[in-house]
Amino acid sequence: MFGAIARFEAKYHLRAPLFYILLAVFFLLTFGATTSDGITMGGAVGNVNRNAPYVIMQFLLVMSIFGILSTTAFVANSIHREFELGTDQLFFSTPVKKWQFLGGRFFGSFSVAVLVYLGVVGAIMIGSKMWWIEKERLGPFELWPYVYSLFVMVVPNLLLAGAIFFAVAALTRSLMATYASAIGFIVANAVASELLDDIANETLAGLLDPFGLGAFGLGTRYWTVFQKNTQVLPLEGIYLWNRILWISVALIVLAFAFWRFEFTTGTRKSRKKTRREAVEEPGLIQRIALVLPKVAQRFGGGASWRQYFASARLEASIIFKSIPFIIILLLGILNIWGNSTAVDSMFGTPVYPTTSVMVEMIYGAFSIFAMIIAAFYAGDIVWRERNIKLHEVMDAMPQPTWAQWAAKFTGLLLVMIATLAVAIVTALVLQTTQGYYNYELPLYLKGVFLQIGVQVLLIAALAFIMQVLFNQKFVGFAGVLIWFVLSRALPALDFEHRLYRYAATPQSPYSDMNGYGHFAWPLTVINGYWILFVAVMLAVCHLLWVRGTEGALRQRLQIARQRFGKAVLSAFALFLVAFLGTGCYIYYNTNILNDYRTTKQNEKRQADAEKKYKKYEHIAKPRITAIKADVQIFPERRAVDIRGEYTMVNKTGQPLRELHVSTNPQTLTRWKYDIPGARVKSDDPEFGYRIYTLDQPLAPGATMPFRFEVGYEAKGFPNGPPNNNIVENGTFFNSIAYFPHLGYNNGIELEDRNKRRKYGLGPQERQAPQSDMRARMSYGISNEADWISLDTTVSTSADQIALAPGYLQREWTEGGRRYFHYKTTSPILAFWSYLSARYEVKRGSWTGPDGVKIPIEIYYDAKHPYNVDRMIEGVQKSLDYFTKNFSPYQHKQVRILEFPRYARFAQSFPNTIPFSESIGFVADLRDKDTIDYVFYVTAHEVAHQWWAHQVIGGDVQGSTMIVETMAQYSALMVMEKEYGRSKMQKFLRYELDRYLRDRGGELIAEMPLSQVENQGYIHYRKGSLVMYALRDYIGEDRVNRALARFIKDHGFAQPPYTTAGELVRYFRAEAPAEYQDVITDLFERIILFDNSAREVSMTKRADGKYVVKMTVASTKLQSDAKGEEKQIPVNDWIDIGVLGEKDTVLFTEKRRITKPVETFEVIVTGKPVKAGIDPLNKLIDRNPKDNVKSL
Amino acid sequence: MSLELRIQGLSKTYPNNVQALQNVTLTIPTGMFGLLGPNGAGKSTLMRTIATLQEADSGSVTLGNIDVLRDKDKVRRVLGYLPQEFGVYPRISAEAMLDHFAILKGIHNRKERKDIVVALLRRVNLYEVRKQNLGTFSGGMRQRFGIAQALLGNPQLIIVDEPTAGLDPEERVRFHNLLAEIGENVIVILSTHIVEDVSDLCSNMAIISKGRVLAQGDPADALQNVEGKIWRRKIAKGDLAAIQQELAVISTKLVSGRTVVHVYSDEQPAGFEPVAASLEDVYFSTLKRSKAEAA
Repeated sequence: MFGAIARFEAKYHLRAPLFYILLAVFFLLTFGATTSDGITMGGAVGNVNRNAPYVIMQFLLVMSIFGILSTTAFVANSIHREFELGTDQLFFSTPVKKWQFLGGRFFGSFSVAVLVYLGVVGAIMIGSKMWWIEKERLGPFELWPYVYSLFVMVVPNLLLAGAIFFAVAALTRSLMATYASAIGFIVANAVASELLDDIANETLAGLLDPFGLGAFGLGTRYWTVFQKNTQVLPLEGIYLWNRILWISVALIVLAFAFWRFEFTTGTRKSRKKTRREAVEEPGLIQRIALVLPKVAQRFGGGASWRQYFASARLEASIIFKSIPFIIILLLGILNIWGNSTAVDSMFGTPVYPTTSVMVEMIYGAFSIFAMIIAAFYAGDIVWRERNIKLHEVMDAMPQPTWAQWAAKFTGLLLVMIATLAVAIVTALVLQTTQGYYNYELPLYLKGVFLQIGVQVLLIAALAFIMQVLFNQKFVGFAGVLIWFVLSRALPALDFEHRLYRYAATPQSPYSDMNGYGHFAWPLTVINGYWILFVAVMLAVCHLLWVRGTEGALRQRLQIARQRFGKAVLSAFALFLVAFLGTGCYIYYNTNILNDYRTTKQNEKRQADAEKKYKKYEHIAKPRITAIKADVQIFPERRAVDIRGEYTMVNKTGQPLRELHVSTNPQTLTRWKYDIPGARVKSDDPEFGYRIYTLDQPLAPGATMPFRFEVGYEAKGFPNGPPNNNIVENGTFFNSIAYFPHLGYNNGIELEDRNKRRKYGLGPQERQAPQSDMRARMSYGISNEADWISLDTTVSTSADQIALAPGYLQREWTEGGRRYFHYKTTSPILAFWSYLSARYEVKRGSWTGPDGVKIPIEIYYDAKHPYNVDRMIEGVQKSLDYFTKNFSPYQHKQVRILEFPRYARFAQSFPNTIPFSESIGFVADLRDKDTIDYVFYVTAHEVAHQWWAHQVIGGDVQGSTMIVETMAQYSALMVMEKEYGRSKMQKFLRYELDRYLRDRGGELIAEMPLSQVENQGYIHYRKGSLVMYALRDYIGEDRVNRALARFIKDHGFAQPPYTTAGELVRYFRAEAPAEYQDVITDLFERIILFDNSAREVSMTKRADGKYVVKMTVASTKLQSDAKGEEKQIPVNDWIDIGVLGEKDTVLFTEKRRITKPVETFEVIVTGKPVKAGIDPLNKLIDRNPKDNVKSL
Repeated sequence: MSLELRIQGLSKTYPNNVQALQNVTLTIPTGMFGLLGPNGAGKSTLMRTIATLQEADSGSVTLGNIDVLRDKDKVRRVLGYLPQEFGVYPRISAEAMLDHFAILKGIHNRKERKDIVVALLRRVNLYEVRKQNLGTFSGGMRQRFGIAQALLGNPQLIIVDEPTAGLDPEERVRFHNLLAEIGENVIVILSTHIVEDVSDLCSNMAIISKGRVLAQGDPADALQNVEGKIWRRKIAKGDLAAIQQELAVISTKLVSGRTVVHVYSDEQPAGFEPVAASLEDVYFSTLKRSKAEAA
């Protein structure tokens, strides 16, 4: 009996559409995430294989959370169906035992809920077979990870969700109550995970998370790429306990439901009154002849419109009431909620939920759900009447044919509008709950409806048109699927033009500074182009719309001839002409005003440039010593006009007969050079490379000028990504991209290893060793200058402020434009920038010990006043610390300048620090516990005025240690003074985490810090940890003394430039003898520890003090460049310590640890709580949690 | 009022080569018109063609001066149609749905619409359950709802295709009464395979089979034609084959456990007794004859 009921139940669900809809939803989501980086699930995949066991586990795990709702839909329905349809009496009177009924129902519906996950499995399997996926990102096919993930992750999670909501459904017998509790569960779960998110109680959080997401994260977070590609999470430790705990909970809940369920149609009185009584046949057709009232009928014109509106409303309301719609919508809301804290956050500090952030989030987290609703219901709506056999009645009704299909199409639009409105409301609620009340409704409308809405509309239209034209439901759906695949495959096949890629509207990021800026027009035009295409197709659909029972093509054509008339013809012609006209306009913009080049063509061009000109990389060339430039920025036209002059000196010691000049033809639209006494020997405009022969060779030590006029002007819009540097409000460009260079610039080289291989290029050269004296003659950022002076005039529109490095000499207005003249007063590196925007300016100042006042200016957008004062304070405190400990500040001013979010970084130029609007300016620092990264980034960038702008290393291994690691250290010190040591620990925990995580993604070689090859996870993350540890070992004074001496000796030095090795020698000179090995470990090797507290105990002495005894273990590992680790003997100075209440330090002391396990005894005052080894996590330890143990 | 539906030489062949209508010519005056024929005779095809849902290969249909095959919109404005198969939106109430149909029928005055919806729901006795979702209706209730929608907006031409299927006998009677009442002023085409429906109600009828009109006219005239030529006999089951060899058997049925045979014959065959002809006899004898002609 049980089996029969279960089978019946499963068959019931397999016949209903919900199963197939969910299967499609899950398939498409996963397929998208597997085959592109555009759709993400549970974080980016990075270098891991697309079908790695880790990815399989992650995808199935994330999708199993969506299972809360899908499972509820199946199991709740299995219970609730009887009550809704009123067949419960029928069932409960049959000789079925309660457990058979409930068990069969549960098992049958639960099995179907699990079957949905075949969509996920299939999507990964099929997705990883798609031809556009890089072969390098595919591992061998293995079945085990799928089986493992299904049975360890999916089944228990669905069992839990299923059990809970089955119980709710069985006990309340109300569908509403069941869904409400499912949503309540999700919200409660989100809140709980938020509370448990504090890094301190990970173990507890890992155990209590019902879906094992936390435990999974805990188990896999430091996995290397190799591990991610080859293994599944071992079923042990917290993860095992988590699974056991929650499977038990599920079974108990299920047992409870079985026990409490009343196997009757309802004993409670409230259940008694059912709608069934009314369903009793109430009577027959009335015998008495009622005279029907007279009615007036009106047709055509306004009456048709009214019919159309009424039908559209009805069509929409039918979808609103359908269960799959509600479920997909809830999944979308869930995804918004789940993503809300992650957007743009840094170091766990969130950003203000500004409307632009919210719109971006809706785009990333919600639009796929809206698209699925669009695609599915467009098909459904075309077939609805035929499915339920209402079509004959409907089609014989006297409404015009156009009103019939247009109402359906409009109904679909209403649904899409409502769906997106729900997303907006969700975002508004999120903003409100986070205490942010600046709701920008117009931006919501623009962002959500014009950007996402049009996309969704186009997909709905595509599905609708396919269904109408093919008149075969599955052919129609297959058509949409083919489009979905093609839209991803075409660009990979080098077909990138938007003229033939349906609905491929360009990415249009919104910036609070620049609005939709230059993205708005192409977006509008391309949206319009495809909407007109839809209009043309709808005119065809009008002719072929099936009304009545004729489905064969011949009859449909016959009917089409009847419908064909002037109105249809003129609409068709009008839309067609408009469509073609818009297409011509787009072509004119993308192919005539701009060069149309595909990604592959661009890559090939990059490769060709390298093949052709790399040979000149090391030719002898003069050095630029002074730069004069007159830069005119025209924000409205998005144009820039640069006239400049380089003063060049021959420092080579031999006469120079040739001069190589290059510009980047990708950024500049024109260039003209004026070099007195030089003839063009060869000119290659395609690559912007020109070689001059000098009539008179440039003698060693001699000077010559190089005058140039270059410029850029945006013309129309390109097919690919536009120029985001020169924009209407928020121009920011630098000298590398916009100024001419002397010879080959290796910045243009392809970096991706696979692509280099594809174009026949060998691996890119790695950074030279520190012994390479030729490489040390340049500092990397530029190889055509040493220290220079800059004298620049920059002009812009009257309402904007234009800035460049240097000190403002003069400001004036001329011909309705503002001019600024800047001049450096001390030598700078040959890398400078220009900015222009409508800025607010906040001024502050800092007075040095010598009484000289340094003005501080923050140039920011009026919308972002939040953290401006923090920045000023950050600059002040930085200047305090750096001038006191390192050397004087070389400039007369510090400026921080906001630029649009098209790029996400802050960068330090001489006395000028551009700062992206997406970091810092919108950081939400209201919670005092968060890490104030605005302060930190400010301090880091100000520190670059010393590290880089005073002392810089040669272009060899370790160069970024001097620049970035020292800036990190400087910022850490400023931050520690401001926020105290305990805050630093929290910050450093993030740094440790990032270092350990990212070293797993290394593709070439992990270098020791002093030989770092511009690897961020080393020079930033490990750098912070290393310097903090060094400070701990030898003391802040010694570190700073070494740094001050280093600057004194190497500041503003001429080539050969210094090296990280040299800096390490300065540290060694300050460090006591016993810490020399520590310096070796920190800077010259890759060392990891695994320290732990084994046993701890305490006894209280008569004098009230405590004796704490602790047995601690220490393992030391050395890693090679490939990540292979070997254990080496411990012989290190490591803290042992005792912590009191709230982790206050009662005792800490460095002890020399020489044995793997050692026991110490210390005496402390105050009540000890925890004790152990390296309690403050100063060393790089893969498991920092177990260093202390509670007493 | 003398509206007339004229069908001239209507033919229709489906893509699978089934000839659904072959040169059908009929004139249907105001009043109840019965379209009688076995399943698959082409009744529904004919009805759908008149109801503008299907195209004809050749021939013409006119309603008064409306060209039905061309001027579909004009036909729909005066049409009430209840198809053989008829579903509903499950999650919409009877009242809301009927109200929507009323809008589609061009009744735009809110008050008028409400009145007619209420009147019709009362008429078909669904008023009590008007707020209920149609998905919860039984087959009979659904059928009544279908009738209500067909009566919306003063239709001049009402087409009902097998309307009494699924109704219990008493309800069928009531339904017939309703139709008869309406049929006084407008054209009502009732398609059925149940002879009684026609004999009870219709002043005009046609018998069609395999797409052809076998007979048409007043049922009374048709009866006249066979009067005195129908004979009946109770027989043992085993004798049927022998009788079929000799005589034109038009029907056999079981009466109180015995087989009763009706035969058509100008003379009284041996062992048979005369019987008053019913429309059923007309129907079956017509079908038999057409089969014999075809053979």
